[in-house]
Amino acid sequence: MSTVEAPLYPIAVLIDELKNDDIQLRLNSIRRLSTIARALGEERTRSELIPFLSENNDDDDEVLLAMAEELGVFIPYVGGVEHAHVLLTPLEILCTVEETCVRDKAVESLCKIGSQMRDNDLIEWFTPLVKRLTAGEWFTARVSACGLFHIAYPSAPETLKTELRSIYGQLCQDDMPMVRRSAASNLWKFAGTVESAHLKADIMQMFEDLTQDDQDTVRLLAVEGCAALGKLLEAQDCAARILPVIVNFSQDKSWRVRYMVANQLYELCEAVGPEPIRTDLLPAYVRLLRDNEAEVRIAAAGKVTKFCQILSPELAIQHILPCVKELSLDSSQHVRAALASVVMGMAPVLGKDATIEQLLPIFLSLLKDEFPDVRLNIISKLDQVNQVIGIDLLSQSLLPAIVELAEDRHWRVRLAIIEYIPLLANQLGVGFFDDKLGGLCMQWLQDKVYSIRDAAANNLKRLAEEFGPDWAMQHIIPQVLEIANDSHYLHRMTLLRAISLLGPVLGSEITCSKLLPVVVNASKDRVPNIKFNVAKVLQSLISVVDQSVVEKTIRPCLVELSEDPDVDVRYFAVQGLQSIDQVTMSS
Amino acid sequence: MSDLDRQIEQLKKCEPLKESEVKALCLKAMEILVEESNVQRVDAPVTICGDIHGQFYDMKELFKVGGDCPKTNYLFLGDFVDRGFYSVETFLLLLALKVRYPDRITLIRGNHESRQITQVYGFYDECLRKYGSVNVWRYCTEIFDYLSLSALIENKIFSVHGGLSPAISTLDQIRTIDRKQEVPHDGAMCDLLWSDPEDIVDGWGLSPRGAGFLFGGSVVTSFNHTNSIDYICRAHQLVMEGYKWMFNNQIVTVWSAPNYCYRCGNVAAILELDENLNKQFRVFDAAPQESRGTPAKKPAPDYFL
Repeated sequence: MSTVEAPLYPIAVLIDELKNDDIQLRLNSIRRLSTIARALGEERTRSELIPFLSENNDDDDEVLLAMAEELGVFIPYVGGVEHAHVLLTPLEILCTVEETCVRDKAVESLCKIGSQMRDNDLIEWFTPLVKRLTAGEWFTARVSACGLFHIAYPSAPETLKTELRSIYGQLCQDDMPMVRRSAASNLWKFAGTVESAHLKADIMQMFEDLTQDDQDTVRLLAVEGCAALGKLLEAQDCAARILPVIVNFSQDKSWRVRYMVANQLYELCEAVGPEPIRTDLLPAYVRLLRDNEAEVRIAAAGKVTKFCQILSPELAIQHILPCVKELSLDSSQHVRAALASVVMGMAPVLGKDATIEQLLPIFLSLLKDEFPDVRLNIISKLDQVNQVIGIDLLSQSLLPAIVELAEDRHWRVRLAIIEYIPLLANQLGVGFFDDKLGGLCMQWLQDKVYSIRDAAANNLKRLAEEFGPDWAMQHIIPQVLEIANDSHYLHRMTLLRAISLLGPVLGSEITCSKLLPVVVNASKDRVPNIKFNVAKVLQSLISVVDQSVVEKTIRPCLVELSEDPDVDVRYFAVQGLQSIDQVTMSS
Repeated sequence: MSDLDRQIEQLKKCEPLKESEVKALCLKAMEILVEESNVQRVDAPVTICGDIHGQFYDMKELFKVGGDCPKTNYLFLGDFVDRGFYSVETFLLLLALKVRYPDRITLIRGNHESRQITQVYGFYDECLRKYGSVNVWRYCTEIFDYLSLSALIENKIFSVHGGLSPAISTLDQIRTIDRKQEVPHDGAMCDLLWSDPEDIVDGWGLSPRGAGFLFGGSVVTSFNHTNSIDYICRAHQLVMEGYKWMFNNQIVTVWSAPNYCYRCGNVAAILELDENLNKQFRVFDAAPQESRGTPAKKPAPDYFL
């Protein structure tokens, strides 16, 4: 504890601040609780600080929340695992307060501590705490108790285990819906620790009770955990006991229940095995895909690829694909966007023929969707289709649509297309670039949006890397250098950016013969912004060209700029000159 | 990397500075701003931006469309703070850029750069919440008093937050105002920050805002003629299309807070002037949800709570 001796005074201040009237000061102090504890030492922390905190529970929620969090990592400061139980007292009190956040945090911290405690200590301290909370008069205690059973249960002896299961069963039938809700959402955690015989009997009974609760919010939470619960059961038990509930819920009159089913259905499939999927879950899923409520269709559409992956291609083509076609024309843009974000992944599942015949028309229609998010979602996953149908077919069928999007009015769509270009270039090869796309790459350099111009410059660099300096010299450099005559300073700025990126790729010779003269010329621009960017580009080219060129061309240019009337031009020119000197000194 | 460059990088991530850093930054800014004229001279090329109102992530969107400072020169027409969630970060980033690149960015005062208004519309509370004291608010409002009142681009384009004043017919009259004070309740300085152009008014009219005036086309024509300027560029009023010309292209409103107050559904615009004063409006949308700092609420809680 070497850090402690000197600043004892600040510690006194911190402790004082725990009692201060100003909430901010109390909060600061709580956040540094570990510092106080270290200063006090383990013993005094146990005998003084923790009791003090236990009494100090009448504070603002914000302070209590911080305290609940701090205590979760406090075991080292009270003397290690064997003393961990002293932390239970203040946390137990926090488990009963009015504010949900504080209670949740206290439960979380209790779980953290409990999972480190020794079995004997758990039986002696933790389980009684759970039982006390369960018997709590006010519902808040019982709500918190539900989240602690999975910690207490494993170490308990047989009789205690029976008691704990029975208590949990009571919580599932508590008078207060809030308690039943908590029991429903924690059931799968508890179930994970229960032996399989009791799982089938006791826990499944609780599950069935909860799914028949008259409060739909309780039923919902029971549904939410059903996939996790299903995975604990054997496939046939899951099919027999959970599946009917879910299939039933998929036709529930409340759309919120159906929404929850749509989110959970796929997870459940993993637990039940292939046959029930075909007979029960698939029809349920198809119903959800055609649900009246857009929210339900959004949730279902987002799972379409994952669902197809667990079906045979025939079933997917026969049952799912017709729904996908309908969804691609859905009246809700959010449904179409959800579909677009996953639908490309169906290509590998369905295989080449079905993709070409059935999916491509859907892709094309989504690529022309009026809602930009839909288009973006499709573009960003194009590579998944490449692999299935091959680049030739892709370029014949999709490329025209892509080219159209290159001029999309939404700049983020254009950006997505640009970022896709190097991949296309890599797959299509040099040949196709000399046509339409090559022109687009130039057009983007003078886009009205800065981010597009910047991405366009980057794109040129990646094309030059892909196709080599000779190709670049022929196909991009001449057009790029023409921008030097553009009347808009921001376009000339893009040229400088492109040069600084292309220089290192194209090498010393091309840089000296083609790029450097343009940069030096730009140093006489009338706009100061161009001039200080010239200085920056020159600095970046120092390492590309020979020392002699640096001395003959770059240095004189920077020297001239360093005497410019504009302060920013001078600043960056001097920076450039310093770089030269550093390089010269180190070589 | 200098402290200032580091602070700019930090602010770009929407992380506020320490109180002591804000104090130092404001002191440096004061030295620069005190030298500026009430009608600050600005050279082309420059990009003109209207109200930001603490919508930090939308301002980052603005820079993505317009280009980063110092690559692009900027003139901001005031109303940096209030209403949005990030007034502190927004104003400090602009101020830090001003201190780092005084010739590349110009900030003039809006009606929200005031002690009184910021106590009502959010900046005061935000400072208190983020720093636990009002010191940062005090430093910032002190700087507000030093911000210039208007700008003149290449002697041709007059830029101001609100509009004209019946007390002012020449730019020289603006130059004589003693601006280093809280925005007064009336008079020339108040009008420049509060007035609005209005179609149906001939001459001057009462403003429904309770400060400043409404002014008609004839007022603008005579002001532009007297001062031999091409047009006036101002902000101050939400326009759904981001910008709006009035009175036969003699005055334009530029508005740079997309989806104002996170719910108006408007687009925003900036006015890009190149070195020959050619005009291009760049229209942009609010930053997409996923690029914002506060995580989007997951749909489920919305439905079920």
